[in-house]
Amino acid sequence: MSSTILSVVSSVVIPFIQLFGVYVIINGHISPGGGFAGGTIIGASLILYRMVSGSDAARNRYPYSRLIKITCFSLLSYGLIKGYSFINGGLDLHMYDLPIGTPGNIFSGRYLLPLNIFVGAIVASVMYFFYSLFSEGEI
Amino acid sequence: MRKAASVILTLCIIAILLVPVSELPEFGSENSPAHNYVSKTYLEEAMHETGAMNIITGIILDYRAFDTFIEATVMFAGAMVVLLLLRKEGEDNEQHYS
Repeated sequence: MSSTILSVVSSVVIPFIQLFGVYVIINGHISPGGGFAGGTIIGASLILYRMVSGSDAARNRYPYSRLIKITCFSLLSYGLIKGYSFINGGLDLHMYDLPIGTPGNIFSGRYLLPLNIFVGAIVASVMYFFYSLFSEGEI
Repeated sequence: MRKAASVILTLCIIAILLVPVSELPEFGSENSPAHNYVSKTYLEEAMHETGAMNIITGIILDYRAFDTFIEATVMFAGAMVVLLLLRKEGEDNEQHYS
């Protein structure tokens, strides 16, 4: 689809959608939302870009190799960070632990913020994969 | 050989998963922890134990973080399987990806 109206409107709208998704992920432990909801919003913005600009432009802007690297890195880091936290807390090892902070600040709640970001990255790229695979058979 | 090994592995996983099921409290019994203090403790303690204003995030990413980890792993495995089945193979495609 190469329509001028669509491309102009989507180039205005997509940054706001992604900003909103980032907001929902970052504030996941303070307000309603979190990794799954915010990741879905960002994935919707990626899908919108691919629908409007075509698969070649989308492949240049969001290459498959970069997305799959982000996904694998997020999954591994989630397992490592939360596994460390469970071993540290469950066995009473008293190793270094992030401070809990004041509830209501962005940087509070120990590992909730990085875990939300990792979950959001996985959900966003997997949604984009599913759309492009089911509609065109390639990413 | 590989078939026998995978059958044995699957049976082992089934046994490991079934042993805890036999230890679960009976459905609807009044002595199970889930019906007594778990939800109350979550509502009262979640905020200052996890530091999350949003108790749902506190539960799914702190108390039950491994559940969420397996959820993300299931999504990843689903993406891998779809990739394996639906991606078009071809020489000119391969140059784009790698």
